[in-house]
Amino acid sequence: MWSGNVKTALANLRSSKTRSLLTMLGIIIGVSSVITVVSLGEGLKQRLVGQIRQIDPAVVIIRPGKLVDTAGTDKMNLNLLALLSPTTLTENDVGALAKIPSVSTVVPLNFATNSLASDGRQLNNISVLGTTPSLTKVLDQKVERGAFFSEENEGEKLAVIGSDIAKQLFDGTNPIAHSISIKGESFIVRGVLAPSPGGLLSIAQTDFNSVVYIPFNEAKKISGGQTNILQILAGVRDGQNIDVAVLDVKQTLLNSHGNQDDFTVLKQRELLKLANDTVGSAAGFITAIAAISLLVAGIGIMDIMLVSVSERTREIGIRKAVGATNRQILNQFLVEGMALSVGGGIIGITMALLIYFGLRLYTRLEPVLTAPIMILAVVVSVVVGVIFSVAPALKAARKDPIVALRGE
Amino acid sequence: MALIQLQEVSKIFGFGEATTLALDEVELTVEKGEFLAIMGPSGCGKTTLMNIIGLLDRPTHGKYLLDGRDAAKLRSNQRAKMRRDRIGFVFQFYNLLPRLNVLHNVALPLAYRGMMPVRRLKRASDILEQVGLRDREYFLPKHLSGGQAQRAAIARALINNPSIIIADEPTGNLDSHDSKVVMELLADLHRQGHTILMVTHNPELTRYASRVIYMRDGTIVEDESTSIGAVAKGALRTYLRRRKTTQEDVIAGVSALLKDVPGKELASQPKIAKYRKLHKRARRRIRSKI
Ligand SMILES: Nc1ncnc2c1ncn2[C@@H]1O[C@H](COP(=O)(O)OP(=O)(O)O)[C@@H](O)[C@H]1O
Ligand SMILES: [Mg+2]
Repeated sequence: MWSGNVKTALANLRSSKTRSLLTMLGIIIGVSSVITVVSLGEGLKQRLVGQIRQIDPAVVIIRPGKLVDTAGTDKMNLNLLALLSPTTLTENDVGALAKIPSVSTVVPLNFATNSLASDGRQLNNISVLGTTPSLTKVLDQKVERGAFFSEENEGEKLAVIGSDIAKQLFDGTNPIAHSISIKGESFIVRGVLAPSPGGLLSIAQTDFNSVVYIPFNEAKKISGGQTNILQILAGVRDGQNIDVAVLDVKQTLLNSHGNQDDFTVLKQRELLKLANDTVGSAAGFITAIAAISLLVAGIGIMDIMLVSVSERTREIGIRKAVGATNRQILNQFLVEGMALSVGGGIIGITMALLIYFGLRLYTRLEPVLTAPIMILAVVVSVVVGVIFSVAPALKAARKDPIVALRGE
Repeated sequence: MALIQLQEVSKIFGFGEATTLALDEVELTVEKGEFLAIMGPSGCGKTTLMNIIGLLDRPTHGKYLLDGRDAAKLRSNQRAKMRRDRIGFVFQFYNLLPRLNVLHNVALPLAYRGMMPVRRLKRASDILEQVGLRDREYFLPKHLSGGQAQRAAIARALINNPSIIIADEPTGNLDSHDSKVVMELLADLHRQGHTILMVTHNPELTRYASRVIYMRDGTIVEDESTSIGAVAKGALRTYLRRRKTTQEDVIAGVSALLKDVPGKELASQPKIAKYRKLHKRARRRIRSKI
């Protein structure tokens, strides 16, 4: 009976193709957008997590402003406003932190500028960061060619460039010892970083592939003695408890900020959680919108099916006259509604796959498709189909055969 | 035991002002193997009677025994199964499903019995052979002539080898040639032992019947046993009177055929009191349900 129902359902849907397609449109859009959005979120999350994992777990991260709003709950909310306001971290803070016994290394990331030039080529939208040679101790940044600058290089104008910058400026030729111009000052390329999980968005506000590291003091010099410290990384001394270090760091900063709590101290683990929570809540929000769109799609299916039941009153009467039970009529229309929504789901998944490959090929968004989301999409479309076919199917099953046969 | 037994069967449609008394305490017994023709003017309740006998509808009052079983005690899905296995319907407008080909239309009752597609299509094909439509198996209903469509409908009615075949004006939409083909088919089935109930307006077709009942205003006003091959006497009277359409009838738009049905004098007695009584009973019943 089921295979027969499926066949009948498909025949009926085929006989009114345009209508069937229009009915499925809601499901198609709903399913494909959910999959796309979730795959983008997943891609973003994986990249963020990859970036954060480059930070040594035994490192305390200090950010300006109240970046995280915990509000007494377990959940961490990213305070996006904090990313826009000017930094509250100063060179004094770096000095003060260096004196804490539980901390061994203190590495500032000082934003100098966002452009550089070389051989007449200009790159914008990059980050030139002033930092110290200890960066490699707290951040897992592999140097692919050359070396990071060291203590002995104090006073020299050296630069370590990200892999994307190397590609864009030097087209595969060895950039080492070439000179680049930052704010009119000439710097010599000392090393090139290995590619890291890059991204357009990142909590560190930097894509490590398009970063240029120069010595802290040189960065300060080309900015006219000003600093703009985006972040301070403090390595915990061996054998010290990281939570003790966090408390020490907080206390020290409160002291040097005149008791103003205008900074954020995080552990790597918290940063990971922050990334997960942030992407998760964004995805949750979008999923809620998608759920509403599926609801609307379901109501669309119900509507069209109700019209279809009215139009096929006579057919229902005939089927009952030749011996169809109410149950059998019910099943027929349930299967039809399900075929509509499963069909929509399949088309939606196909669309999502096309979008996925399109994004992979033509953008840097790097979406990640996972099996659970695809399965979920199919299940959801089946469930929507069943739920919203119930009312029309019941209407069909309850039709009085006499009235149905009279209806010309 | 009689195959069909109706005792004081009444049917009321609608409520309040819009109430119609479609059947008025009908008494009818049909034995197995009869070919019963039902005649009467439009709106006299023939279709309603067929629907009740065919388990498509329930009487408002009275008792219907099918093979000795009280139809009122059957649940909805039992009624559906009885329709499927014991009753074959043939309608005036064929009522084939437009989107299914002839073969699938004929096999439909078997599908509801859960028979495998290969078997049921084979069986449908055999039945189509019997009605002479083997070469039209893959046609859609819209590509059949009226006679062919009605034969396909008869094939569908036959496929479960039902004991009762109910044909409501089966030739109402056919020309005389197609009518004859369809009637010969029904006569054949009658000879094979099927019980046939046929509504018709055509007195000529009573030749095929073994018994004719005449209805008017929801009651049976005459019940006549006839010999097969001869036009029934009551029908003949209508037939002969048919030409006597008066000028008033033409002006009133009444067809003589519909007007002149035997038993007129019986039926013309006032029924308002009876109707009121029934109606009251119906209302009481409805109230007690709420
Ligand atoms: N489902 C229904 N609802 C309301 N009235 C109906 C219904 N079916 C039949 N009737 C009424 O019952 C009467 C008998 O109808 P019907 O049995 O179809 O007559 P016939 O078949 O003899 O022409 C008519 O007056 C008709 O209008
Ligand atoms: Mg009728």
